[in-house]
Amino acid sequence: MSTVEKVLTLPARQEAHRDGYVGQLSQFWGLYARELIKTFRNPFVIIITFAQPFMWLAFFGSSFANVPGGAATLDKLLHAPPGTGYLQFLLPGVLATSMLSIGMFGSMSTIQDKRFGFMKRVLITPTSKATVYLTKALGSATRGMVQIPVMIVAAWAFGIPFVGTPLAWAGWVLGLVFLGVGFSAFFLAVTASSTDWQTPGVISNFITMPLMFASGALFPAQNYPSWMQTIANYNPVGYAALLGREVVVYGSFDWIYLGYLALFAVVMLVVGTAVASRYLKVE
Amino acid sequence: MTVDPDGSAIVTEGLTKVYGGHAPPAVGKRGGSPGPIRHGLFSRERRPGMAAVDHVDLCVPKGSVFGLMGPNGAGKTTMIKLLTGLSDITEGRAWVDGFDVERNPMQVKQRVGWVAAEVILDDDLSAWENLWLQAKLQALSDWQTRAEELLAYFDLADRRKDRVSTYSTGMRKKMEIALALLHQPSVIFMDEPTIGLDPNVRLMLWKLITGVNREFGVTVLLTTHYIEEADSLCDRVAIIDRGKFVATGTPSELKARVKADFIELETRGPIDEPKLRALPGVLEVRTQGKTWILKVPSAEEVLPHLFAALKDDGISRINVEKPSLESVFIDITGKRMDQTGGDVQDFRKFYMQVRRARQ
Repeated sequence: MSTVEKVLTLPARQEAHRDGYVGQLSQFWGLYARELIKTFRNPFVIIITFAQPFMWLAFFGSSFANVPGGAATLDKLLHAPPGTGYLQFLLPGVLATSMLSIGMFGSMSTIQDKRFGFMKRVLITPTSKATVYLTKALGSATRGMVQIPVMIVAAWAFGIPFVGTPLAWAGWVLGLVFLGVGFSAFFLAVTASSTDWQTPGVISNFITMPLMFASGALFPAQNYPSWMQTIANYNPVGYAALLGREVVVYGSFDWIYLGYLALFAVVMLVVGTAVASRYLKVE
Repeated sequence: MTVDPDGSAIVTEGLTKVYGGHAPPAVGKRGGSPGPIRHGLFSRERRPGMAAVDHVDLCVPKGSVFGLMGPNGAGKTTMIKLLTGLSDITEGRAWVDGFDVERNPMQVKQRVGWVAAEVILDDDLSAWENLWLQAKLQALSDWQTRAEELLAYFDLADRRKDRVSTYSTGMRKKMEIALALLHQPSVIFMDEPTIGLDPNVRLMLWKLITGVNREFGVTVLLTTHYIEEADSLCDRVAIIDRGKFVATGTPSELKARVKADFIELETRGPIDEPKLRALPGVLEVRTQGKTWILKVPSAEEVLPHLFAALKDDGISRINVEKPSLESVFIDITGKRMDQTGGDVQDFRKFYMQVRRARQ
């Protein structure tokens, strides 16, 4: 059948029903699902997501194995109760620092969409820039969250004792969610107007180093000079690590840390949405 | 101009887009005032920018196929970006399907479809998932029946579960048109729909575009720099050059304007312009790079004289352009459409003009 005949035997035009209002929820769900589908269709993402926590604990955790004076020295250095062990101290810190760079993936996928023109395809529909921004920020945060359960299984495999109630653990994971959302939101807002592949990597390097070390995530902040302690006092990474350490090491839970992290996430999302609505570039 | 939302799918009034700088003053209209000048740290350069689209008045009747024809960089794509709200309007106004593009962008976006020059699909998703995403973005419910019909219409039904990265170029192009039609738009913008496609696929697309226009009742605004495309597809054509509409009309109206042939000529050595002008029947002589363009009433009558006069100059290339949209373009702008912008000399000349304009 030639194309011309087909044109003539076209099925009758059907009415596509449009919702009474342009559903932002529908757009949000579509784009958010796209982010997740795209991420997890890539086998490398899955392999690395699962391998990384094990590697952290194996390599970083083992680097203190032969410290002079043994476990007692480490506990003293970490200001931890005797018998804690570095792995137990390290787990909350590693999870907190891994939230620092997850915004990079959302930021890179945004730049890819701009480069390949997909951003035009989205913004030519009645989808607002704010919706695009929120799906990217929450999509990359979700991607980062997958590491949390894997990490906890890895910790269990490395023989870390579990203290604390399930509720406290849930609270800690929620804190990590807030931290991840906050940093994703920050990352995407900073790179909203960028179309250069290099930008996300540069920004990641720039923020990761100071925020990782000036946080008490990997070493206790009590050992820092005062200027670094000042940074640590405001650094949400540190509070996520403290929140987790209380749960994992002491079996207690401090709501004020969780509140600080929630505030961080909300402020970043609100500011980021405002920035992106204005500065998100189409191409 | 009064806006008639019933009769016109697209209307623009003095539509202007300027990149980097302020709008150039309109001819015969209120000019863009440069305003007070700040100095030192606070100075904002108030030089005139490059107008990609320059005070364009356009009226596209509902249900028609309208072609924007012009060389690369003439402002065709910018026109589409302005009309779909992807790019901010510097000056002037535009209405699509009765809605103001600047004041009601969301209503406009619900009513337009878009087919990009470069195929833009999500390669990681299947055809069906691409349609699903489009339905979500347009907030459609009950879109599945229509999506299936579109896939059947475009011969893609049996490949609907395959990732679009495995599709051929023609299939990808069809997929894009299916996406553009899903939400039943009133207007479809097609940016260079057949650029870079082989002749068979191009022919197939032409038939599809005509079919889509007739059967789905969609107004089509397409841009092209292919003469045949504008000639065979479009009800009306606007010729655009450096952001300005230089001629508008049906293809036959435009062709009727030029009652002359054009002879393009290249020689190995230099030629004297007076020698060309002296030939009987030559109306005009122009140059574009190394090429001479002669406007004559009838090429058949002038060619013998031309060969006789230039027998010692060594003609290296000769081409006769009978009345066509290409000759309309040559007549108005003095250059061939497919050479504009591609020519290195022209490119440098263009940049010199830009720099001069900024000083």
